[in-house]
Amino acid sequence: MRVNELVLEDFRNYADEQVRLAPGLNLVIGRNAQGKTNLLEAIHCLSGLGSPRADNAALVRHGRGAALVHADVTRVHRSLHIDLEIKPGRGTRALVNKTAVPRTSALTDVIVTVFFGPDELSLVKGSPDGRRRFLDELVVKLRPARDALRRDLERVLRQRNALLKSLRAADPSGVHAELEVWDRSLCRSGAAVAAARLEALRDLSPHASKRYEEVAGGGSLTLSYVSSWLPEELAGSISDGTAEIDASSLEEHLAARIERLRRAEVERGATLVGPQRDDVSVRLSSQGTMLDARAFASQGDQRTSALALKLAEHDLLSESLQDEPILLLDDVFSELDPMRRAWLADAVRDVGQTILTSAEPLALETLRAEKILEVREGRIDVSG
Amino acid sequence: MFAGPIQDLIDELSRLPGIGPKSAQRVAIHLLKSPPVEAHRLARTIAEAKDKVILCRVCFNFSDAEVCNYCSDPRRDRSLICVVQEAPDIVAIERTREYRGLYHVLQGAVHPLEGVRVEDLRISELIDRIDGSPALDGSGAGAVTEVIIATNPNVEGEATAMELVRLVAPLPVRVTRLASGLPIGGDLEFADEVTLGRALEGRRHLGG
Repeated sequence: MRVNELVLEDFRNYADEQVRLAPGLNLVIGRNAQGKTNLLEAIHCLSGLGSPRADNAALVRHGRGAALVHADVTRVHRSLHIDLEIKPGRGTRALVNKTAVPRTSALTDVIVTVFFGPDELSLVKGSPDGRRRFLDELVVKLRPARDALRRDLERVLRQRNALLKSLRAADPSGVHAELEVWDRSLCRSGAAVAAARLEALRDLSPHASKRYEEVAGGGSLTLSYVSSWLPEELAGSISDGTAEIDASSLEEHLAARIERLRRAEVERGATLVGPQRDDVSVRLSSQGTMLDARAFASQGDQRTSALALKLAEHDLLSESLQDEPILLLDDVFSELDPMRRAWLADAVRDVGQTILTSAEPLALETLRAEKILEVREGRIDVSG
Repeated sequence: MFAGPIQDLIDELSRLPGIGPKSAQRVAIHLLKSPPVEAHRLARTIAEAKDKVILCRVCFNFSDAEVCNYCSDPRRDRSLICVVQEAPDIVAIERTREYRGLYHVLQGAVHPLEGVRVEDLRISELIDRIDGSPALDGSGAGAVTEVIIATNPNVEGEATAMELVRLVAPLPVRVTRLASGLPIGGDLEFADEVTLGRALEGRRHLGG
């Protein structure tokens, strides 16, 4: 899939700008704070998952009411036109071929992107929240309809937390038959979300491990789902493919854990267990020892792992969608050492449409870009 | 800002659901430009509706009599009660012309965030109806045999359905839930997997 032409109106620092993109590697150069990342952000918005770094209000050019993004895109052999209208506090309205889509997440059916910026470099090092979001977005990119599962879980959690809070206030030691209904809702939605995540993680693992070996020149990377309610052996045998993912068995494990935490949850007035607290662990092995990358790996290894995860995401999506997602690389070269730079430059060759930004002209030599765009104060010029 | 009474009207209108400040202004200006008789008629109709419409003593549907049209209609099947969240749901089910039983309006769904709890719904009244149904005419005939749960297929509607099952299950009635599944006239390949999964779960035995 690819974006052929992009028009930005009042989007970030772009007043009214039009740009044609090449099907292969597009290099976007310019000094800092000229609008390079904003261009990637606009393309990311076309995939229906919003901006990777800010809310809607930040996307609208200062003093304007709405930002507009128009794009001519190709998915397999279909040519489609996407229009987005982004209003602060009002969400985003999306049209595909001039027909409104019910919600922007439906755009994932048309455009899928893999975004990698400086924040993603800390995917392995950072908080569990970032890894959950990575996995949840991967789930939606693989199967757009599964977005409903996560939305349902969020709603169940909000309702259940509100109930727990009022139970705590009213009668913390009583018997709460009312809570049982929300326990069952939580088990059902929680198990569905966990099953979707486990499936995505299982399919991602071999790609991540392969990419890690390539970039690190040896060693191995293992991904596993970490959860307080799912037995480690079961999570392990699901991720290595020896056990089937069975939503009803997941439901039972979650139910058992909720049962044990009932009293503590009422006392705290909050849900203490479920997929909203789970995590993904990344373990690296070198010379026969397995280490938790988050706690023990060097900064360089953590970055290599993060890079491997994002490229693995691209590999898995290409395989599963039978079409290459658009790769958006935001200023990552400057953060890498020469060895990893060379490797990344090699890896992004022939992976479908890639848009890569850089503030340093140095990166140019190792890349064979099809198109070079220069961004200066919200204007885009073709420079090669 | 407009002068006193105009702004008051706009403010009142914009408190209504689905009416924002712009629509409220448009409606207010329209009312002020129209002949006095029209505005008075609207005011009278609202006041009359509010005064005359009450909740049916039996099913809690809106009604202008103590017992609503459905509950008092002798042709309706008294062994069936369809439980809905709100009165407009009855209108939707009536449009199908498939259902000839009675209704029960819960007046909402459980929604802890908005402070709506089980005891705020008309569930105990439903239980009384099922429990007390043979005694109404003394014959035992027409006793409720089935309760059909028709709450919305979303998080709050499902939780309400589970509450109903928990509370109604001890009684000697069949409890059923509206099936959720595939839209008629659609193609299977275009159905989203969540809907399709539900449809599979609720599949029907056809023979063999």
